[in-house]
Amino acid sequence: MKIKTLQRKIKKLYPSVVVDTKDGCVHLTGTLDNRDDIVNAGYMSVDKKRYLGVLNDIKLKGFEEPKIRIPKTNDTTLDGLRVDCLVIGGGISGTSILRELTRYNISALLVEKESDLAMQASGRNDGEVHPGVDLNKGSKKQYYVVRSNPEFGNICKELDVDFVRRGQYACFDKPINPLLKLYAKFRSMNGCPTTVANKKEIEEKETHFTKKVKCAISNPQSGVVSPYELTIAFAENAVSNGAKVSLDTAILDIEVKGDKIISVKTNKGTICPKVVINAAGCFSDKIADMANDRFFTIHPRSGTDFIFDNKISGQINHISSFVSAKKNKKKHSKGGGIVKTIDNNVLIGPNVYETPYREDYSVVAGSLDEIIKKQERLLPSLNKKDIIAYFTGTRAATYEEDFYINKGRKTKNIVHCAGIQSPGLTTAPLVAKDVSKMAIEELSEVMKVEENKSFNPIRKKDPILRKLSSEERNALIKKNPSYGRIVCRCEQISEGEIIDCLNRNIKVPTINGIKRRVRPGMGRCQGGFCMPLVAKIISDHEKFNIYDVKGKQSDYPVTFKSNKRENHD
Amino acid sequence: MIIQLPLNQIKERTMINYDTVVIGGGPAGLASAISAHNNGAKVFLIEREARLGGILKQCIHDGFGLLYFNKKLSGPEYAQNFIDKFNELKIENTTNSFVTKITKKDDQFLIEYVSEDGVKAVSSKTLILSTGCRERTSKQVFINGTKPYGVFSAGTAQYFTNILGVLPSKKCVILGSGDIGLIMARRLTLEGVKVFGVYEILPSPSGLTRNIHQCLYDYNIPLHLSHTITKLYGENRLEAVEIAQVDEKMQPIKGTEEKIECDALILSVGLLPENELAESLGVPLDPKTRGPIVNENYMTMVDGVFTCGNAMQVNDLVDYVSFTAEKAGQSAAKYKIKEQTYNNVEASKDFEYVLPQRLSKNIESENVDFYFRTKKIEAKVQVQLLCNDKVIYSKTYQHLKPPEMEKISIKSTDLMINGDFKLIMKRG
Repeated sequence: MKIKTLQRKIKKLYPSVVVDTKDGCVHLTGTLDNRDDIVNAGYMSVDKKRYLGVLNDIKLKGFEEPKIRIPKTNDTTLDGLRVDCLVIGGGISGTSILRELTRYNISALLVEKESDLAMQASGRNDGEVHPGVDLNKGSKKQYYVVRSNPEFGNICKELDVDFVRRGQYACFDKPINPLLKLYAKFRSMNGCPTTVANKKEIEEKETHFTKKVKCAISNPQSGVVSPYELTIAFAENAVSNGAKVSLDTAILDIEVKGDKIISVKTNKGTICPKVVINAAGCFSDKIADMANDRFFTIHPRSGTDFIFDNKISGQINHISSFVSAKKNKKKHSKGGGIVKTIDNNVLIGPNVYETPYREDYSVVAGSLDEIIKKQERLLPSLNKKDIIAYFTGTRAATYEEDFYINKGRKTKNIVHCAGIQSPGLTTAPLVAKDVSKMAIEELSEVMKVEENKSFNPIRKKDPILRKLSSEERNALIKKNPSYGRIVCRCEQISEGEIIDCLNRNIKVPTINGIKRRVRPGMGRCQGGFCMPLVAKIISDHEKFNIYDVKGKQSDYPVTFKSNKRENHD
Repeated sequence: MIIQLPLNQIKERTMINYDTVVIGGGPAGLASAISAHNNGAKVFLIEREARLGGILKQCIHDGFGLLYFNKKLSGPEYAQNFIDKFNELKIENTTNSFVTKITKKDDQFLIEYVSEDGVKAVSSKTLILSTGCRERTSKQVFINGTKPYGVFSAGTAQYFTNILGVLPSKKCVILGSGDIGLIMARRLTLEGVKVFGVYEILPSPSGLTRNIHQCLYDYNIPLHLSHTITKLYGENRLEAVEIAQVDEKMQPIKGTEEKIECDALILSVGLLPENELAESLGVPLDPKTRGPIVNENYMTMVDGVFTCGNAMQVNDLVDYVSFTAEKAGQSAAKYKIKEQTYNNVEASKDFEYVLPQRLSKNIESENVDFYFRTKKIEAKVQVQLLCNDKVIYSKTYQHLKPPEMEKISIKSTDLMINGDFKLIMKRG
């Protein structure tokens, strides 16, 4: 669409919006009353052939965007540090890229503003390793997903992360028809092996489904993984290969001179990197802007998932959804489904809503009813009473609804890995290879880059005692009796396993850090019994007071010093 | 290196056979073990925590033992009475030991557990599941908003305060007027924590009347009935809660919302009997009590498996826990495998539940204790037990309140009738 045409179309709907071009992008400015209108104007401006992207700077009337959450810590531990490659963002993208960079003998540092890795989108999703059946050829998402999915088993083996191909059913209440068969054939030809499963086959494998299911699009290559475990595993392997990770480190500003980033200012001092990789998720357009290289806009899109007690894990096997007859073409997410996670919890969701907030993880009223109503059509045995937890995540969507993986256009020494939303977990291993290649190309212009001959792709996880046979468990306890002291009764986690996780190469001694690594608090009591015990183990091991043990963020303690103690301590 | 020794070999060398294995060393487990021992059984008790006494260890307030000991004791004192007795009798036990698996084979139970000494196994003729209960969590009451730290169940807050000596809050709001919530309102106030109030979604309190007076009114802590928390604020630590009044259907009333700044929300929103082990043995549960369906001896529907205390039903007084536990211990010790036939016991819809849910046609004990809870507050009602539409027992109550469990004792000779029993309520 020519800019004049677009201007006319947008003017008609939103007279106050100014449409322009900037750096080869469509640039929208002005103020609107409604968030959905702003998002709609963004979508209207997409024309991949004519423009590099959409820069949607329309403001929401009366809304002031909250500032990015910056850690309270301020120090100079990183001040003056020179690194070859600086990775911004400790999600699945950043950590997988960091690991790829350690294949070369360069210095690499990853900074993450939260107190742990995988704290945002990478820790707030259902963990599905997608087949890419819903994606069309031509998008980066599709290109990477069909190539990455078959490789996933190998990556997880190297990193010692559990991965199971559960298979996926997109169910229909109509019998098999030629159109579905054609669809499956077409998808298979495009690199995503797809078949149509009949009623009998489905009924054999899924005994709890509604009888209304007549057939399903089947993708046996769909799998599940713990998204935060994988993210952490990438980072741990990278660190054991020489990379560095700095948590609680936020980017405050980027100094650009001409077409080069000179330095990056953080709350821990100013870093001088040769190349910067932008893997900042929902903040990636902000980082791009700081680097004077913005060619896309992130519009956050949230959704909530609900997790059930693992008692009901027998009710479902496949990653499943019920395809409704009325398909809403405007929706840019598949509309959720039911997943049996790698830890055997049944998870339902997510729903979808646009939000102006980039890091608001609150659950909005009505989410539960909306989601359970939708998913119990497929699995009528779902019962609200069995829900033990829920979470909200935010997708870093661009208006093009595709990944933005590019070298800097105006600023040379930056590589963007942005707009990463579903299936970003699946595609991470392959995307990381391409992004790191771009960074190395750029780096090679200013230094000699060689292969890291001592790179070891293998990471070994600590023993998980409940998964061992009685004999193996017994042998380990004999060597280390703390493996025999059960701290978390819901998930059967021992003190020894918690101590192991405090001895890892990226240590996160918070209640949440332990919970995400070894699972105390993930069960049905949600930490009611074990949280104080975990706090005690952390404080004993780290030699600080219990009231200094933090929950999620390293600036927020869980408990306070007793007033009565004042006189004793 | 891991030595691959088949488990059956380990077991053959180390496994000891008992008459009764008690799982859980809280007040129920202790009383049932003592009682089983005194009735001639060879008993073994398995406790998952480091010390015996269960939740009573952290209940440092008084009010325990009025029925059992005829005096007012603190939780640890109440427990210590049983622990001393238990130790005196030299009943075998293991602490810091977690049961991972129970299987039943040829009328024998094989119990596997994990301890600092490794993976162990014992076998027994009977089992007593005295596994207690756990607290309903914030996730189970679906509060919208963020999920910050600072939302504690009352028991967790109590553990931090009384066992670890740290405070969960500086200023807090309590949701739910269950007894632990009321106790914690007072406890935290005494520790210098500002307690803004106790908010209860129901139109009447959920805790004992004496606790409403002694824990709230005596300390000027307001109780807000028909109120609930509708939203949480704060991403990392709780910063505020939104409260609202609710209508008769317990739905928040628009326009009544109020925001209270606080750093903690303490939840006392109900207790759930812990019966995962029971379920793994195929023990059917009563959806109303959430504990196993039992007969007058507190034997579950799986022969040889007994239950008592909070695993069987949520008690408001520990004294009742001890009573049912002693009965379960005695029954387990005397247990003999035989065919039994049963009559069912049902409660009308005026009751939350009645227990036991079934009676042997041939009752061996002198009396049968029935426990029940009313669904609503009642005044001047007659509670009757019917069989074949004939009244076999009747008692008048001036007051009945849902938080207060009632016990009636009926002579077994009156209950040896063929037919199903029904507990009913007559008003006026």
